[in-house]
Amino acid sequence: MRLVRIVIHIVVLYVFYWTGTWIQDVLQLPIPGSIIGMLLLLAVFVFTAATPKWLQDGSGLLLGNMPLLFLPVTAGLVVHGELFSLLGAGLITAVFISTLLVMGTGSWVTQYLLKRGERYRG
Amino acid sequence: MGEWWTAAAAIAGTIAVYAASKRAYRGLPVPLMLPIVTGTIFIILFLLVSGIPYSVYMNGGQWIESLLGPAVVALACPLYEQRHLLKRYLLPILSGIGTGAVIGVVSGLAFTAAAGASKEWTAAVLPKSVTTPVAMDITTTLGGDAPLAAMFVMVAGIGGVVVHARVMNVVGVTDPVAKGIGMGSAAHAIGTAKSLENSETEGAVSSVAMTVSAVIVAFLAPLAGNLFL
Repeated sequence: MRLVRIVIHIVVLYVFYWTGTWIQDVLQLPIPGSIIGMLLLLAVFVFTAATPKWLQDGSGLLLGNMPLLFLPVTAGLVVHGELFSLLGAGLITAVFISTLLVMGTGSWVTQYLLKRGERYRG
Repeated sequence: MGEWWTAAAAIAGTIAVYAASKRAYRGLPVPLMLPIVTGTIFIILFLLVSGIPYSVYMNGGQWIESLLGPAVVALACPLYEQRHLLKRYLLPILSGIGTGAVIGVVSGLAFTAAAGASKEWTAAVLPKSVTTPVAMDITTTLGGDAPLAAMFVMVAGIGGVVVHARVMNVVGVTDPVAKGIGMGSAAHAIGTAKSLENSETEGAVSSVAMTVSAVIVAFLAPLAGNLFL
């Protein structure tokens, strides 16, 4: 029974994904169809009586094993020898520094606004 | 018939490698032992040693990969379940994530330009702070290679986990909500897993930040790409 539920839930998620890619195609949007599909599902949760519980088995299985789903793609690095170059190493360093900046600024801005909000509230 | 058989073997093999690397990570839970790191290395070594071309492996691999789209859609579920956090701290959360997203894309553009990187490389670097399946989609939309994008996403995730505590000290952030925003915006799912170990609030906020940041960067990166690439 649980297996049937998992399959049905994943089929429903697929329908949202296909609808998202269809919208991207028709409207020629640069935003990935998967994100459009996610926003559609979010809209359904917000505007109808539907809740994430209805998709729990399928979504839990997919989200809990996400690394399995992109293993085939990351294995594609096997045809990307160019990563092991000076430019590749430089860009890896750049990504690392950029990560520090994103983390530091994002957290700092959030804490600044949280504290300011507290002060206004008294 | 032969194709059917290799596809089934690739699928079963990938699941077995994933299960084994998950178990190894449980035994030694450090970032470099994450299933995506050890699993990727194992499959690559296997393909190199056996001489099986990547395209043959992907006869089966594509079936597993095809579940990524629905998995991204499924991110709506945890986001909706944490909506009370968004409602309560709407302005600080959205401003923090938005700042991180802009800084990430802009610094990505600046660094790749300074390094004289090609359009393909830049397309793979720009979405590096968002969760892997979304980053791969964004990179493909921009005309880059998905595996390279996944590689940079992993560097951001693992690097972010390693430096998080130190960065919080440097910028003087002690609030768990603010800590979670930095983690989720910079180090996506890998960081969120670590934040969940730190505190429940930090983990929940990090998961919200990861998904909201993915949406923002999905709009921002193509925009920046169209303007500058």
